[in-house]
Amino acid sequence: MKQETVNLKALGVPEEELFSLVTHSDVESEKITAPRYSYWQSVFRVFFKKKINLIVLGLLAVIILFAFVYPMLIEYDRFANLTDATAKHLTPTAAMAKFGSSIHWILGAGASGEPTFDAVWVGSKISISLALTCALINMTIGILLGAVWGFSKKVDVIMMEVYNIVANVPYILLISVLVMILSASFWTMVFALTVTGWIGVAYFIRTQVIIIRDREYNLASRCLGTPITRIALRNILPFMTSVIVTLAATEIPSYISYEVFLAYIGIGLSDMSLGKLISEAQSAMMTNGWQFEFWSPVVVASTVAVVLYVVGQNLGDASDPRTHM
Amino acid sequence: MAKYLIKRLLRGLASIVVVVAIVMVLIYSLLDRQGIFAADTTYTKLNNNAKTMYMYRQWQKYGYLDFITYADFLNGLVKSGELTAEERDSMGIGRTASDDSPEVAALVERFTQEYESQGFKVVRLKAVVAKRKLATGGQQQLFATRDRPLIDRLIKHFTGIITVDNIHYVPEDRDIGERGLTFTTHDPVYGGEQFAPAIMGNGTKHKYLLYFDHQFPFIHQNLVNVNLGLSYSIDTGVDVLQIMNVTQGSYVLSPTVFPTGLKESSADDLHSATYMADTRQSSKVLEERFTDDYTGVVTLKGGKSKMGYSFSIGILATCLAYLLGVPLGIIMARHKDGLVDKIGTFYIVFIIAVPSLSYIFLFKAIGGSFCLPTTFDVNSSNALMYLLPIISLALPSIANLMKWLRRYMVDQMNSDYVKFARSGGLSENEIFFKHILKNAAIPIIHGIPGAVLFSMTGALITERVYVVPGVGDLLTRAINAHDNGVIVGVTMFYALLSVVSIILGDILMSMVDPRISFSNESR
Repeated sequence: MKQETVNLKALGVPEEELFSLVTHSDVESEKITAPRYSYWQSVFRVFFKKKINLIVLGLLAVIILFAFVYPMLIEYDRFANLTDATAKHLTPTAAMAKFGSSIHWILGAGASGEPTFDAVWVGSKISISLALTCALINMTIGILLGAVWGFSKKVDVIMMEVYNIVANVPYILLISVLVMILSASFWTMVFALTVTGWIGVAYFIRTQVIIIRDREYNLASRCLGTPITRIALRNILPFMTSVIVTLAATEIPSYISYEVFLAYIGIGLSDMSLGKLISEAQSAMMTNGWQFEFWSPVVVASTVAVVLYVVGQNLGDASDPRTHM
Repeated sequence: MAKYLIKRLLRGLASIVVVVAIVMVLIYSLLDRQGIFAADTTYTKLNNNAKTMYMYRQWQKYGYLDFITYADFLNGLVKSGELTAEERDSMGIGRTASDDSPEVAALVERFTQEYESQGFKVVRLKAVVAKRKLATGGQQQLFATRDRPLIDRLIKHFTGIITVDNIHYVPEDRDIGERGLTFTTHDPVYGGEQFAPAIMGNGTKHKYLLYFDHQFPFIHQNLVNVNLGLSYSIDTGVDVLQIMNVTQGSYVLSPTVFPTGLKESSADDLHSATYMADTRQSSKVLEERFTDDYTGVVTLKGGKSKMGYSFSIGILATCLAYLLGVPLGIIMARHKDGLVDKIGTFYIVFIIAVPSLSYIFLFKAIGGSFCLPTTFDVNSSNALMYLLPIISLALPSIANLMKWLRRYMVDQMNSDYVKFARSGGLSENEIFFKHILKNAAIPIIHGIPGAVLFSMTGALITERVYVVPGVGDLLTRAINAHDNGVIVGVTMFYALLSVVSIILGDILMSMVDPRISFSNESR
């Protein structure tokens, strides 16, 4: 057969449109191409897609500023006006008429003539610190132990007993005993709330893990010989990220609420926390015209809790990898 | 599975023992025992040695320690015949140890040795003298004392939980006629005319061991009694279970025929008669009514018991919570990011964020403006007074259920099996209710037994705010009053409830989801 040679240049086809020889590479052929994916980048991308999160984060910044910076700038003395009978239980307008218009009096005056606005922020500082510290300690211990607890049936047997024991020693009794022994200081309260508090978190995580650990994909993974730690970290933990973040979002406000409860039954902090403010202002709640004293710490406590909750909840939504697509 | 559950239950019971031990350590060893005198007026009035003696007597009564005085020791010697009553009276100790006569010194030595060998600490308080005269309460004292060991206390508590009534309950040296059980077909409480079988005892604690009446479950027994712990200050001498279960409110009078034949309109429940030594001699009222010393009767009252109120409010609140919370959670997940979801989320955030104390006050204020009764009245038959406590109690549970059910369902919605079902052509409703709900409801189902059982324990703040006479504040009241018997009893009761509810929750969970197995040990 006669071979025809075609002059490429004569056809006028550019060189890049022509076939060219590619060498085979074993290394390249093993690679799987996928779009670049970074977990945390995607989390923040989803998180900031919702405009409300920006507003809530701004609010969080304001609260932190007021709770942690504002008390350092003012000199707060709760009993400064104690002897002045006309300074007590004032509405905002009356207080501002008496003491002049300043930021201190925009929420009126409390039972011992103290500016409610200052009292609320000094209290918030203590309450928020308490809630964050307790949540951090409890969540860390709880998640780590809860994962192990749910995963191993041997540990489950032991931990179930520990749970039955620890969870059944009444909280109130434990806290009142600790408060009586160690005095009602901030760190006593942290200790009292965390010494058994982690077990609730751990138990919750355990139930979640039990639900997931017997799923088919974990069974398959185990059959393929994946070590347990890898199953826990790679198969189960990602599945639970959203649950954990949701838990944290509810956990932090719950400590603020719990602190109010403790103050209400009389075993709270000795410092002027939000809880103590609210429970002390209970009687004012019943008196017409004094409700402001009760509702202003409630509103602040609620706002703090709402902000923390919404941030946590939306972060929980965003941290679920299945929402990243 | 059954074997596994029995094992779990036994282990749960063992852990209750440990809980009780821990609580005992907390209240008997760690808490300042001086605290029980904080509100005691007798204590503040006493002085010097009398005050010390009173403290030790109270501590013994509250179960902290064993306490034996020199006088008890002498009385013991008189009883055993070593001393006569006259000799005893001359054997009192001197103002200081050096004032003792040789005989007394010998006895004191014997007292000291006898009790120190048993681990007691012997304390001698010198007389407090002011201007050569005894000061008030300054009488010299000699006594031996020993902290009660934890093991003793535990054994005593757990062996005392279940008691079987027997004819040797009344001390043997008391003359109460012939001891024994009698069976009668005509219960004297009903006048002895109508047919009503009963087993009665003499020498037992309860007079009626088995009887019939017209209250559910119609046949009642007093033979086997459960005692969780005696109260010292909240309701002196009454068992925790009885404190929780005894009716409250105003008396319900009914025509009663007393054993002497006296007919009267009375609230006394003669079936509950228990033995109270020497009460008939000391009271004319009792003497006119009773023929023996079985005079301790419970009075019938119109209201429910503490637990009755707490449970009826709690169980209704729990039902309401599941009836509303589950459908609302489903709707929220079904219309994710829709209007219902947003309103629901707002509500959940409200409940989580606002401290419970303040929203209960808020509901009370709102309810009050709708003319609903805001305080509970035991003697009123107005069913509306239950409404606000139930709503206050249900609202947070509803929020909680909505929150978690929504979360679980939203998590399931992105699963592969849902996508597969959708690609298989199932309708959205089918996918939602047949597949997603089934999977998402598992953790919710786990909590149902706990929610039901724990509605028995009441709710502290709700009950206080609405003045419900429930069990919710029993524990806090006991802690404040240093009523150790009640603290231990209530703790044990709560512990039992939670052990049972976890096991029931696990059973329910594995019944609903066959993938969850507890019995296979091959992990």
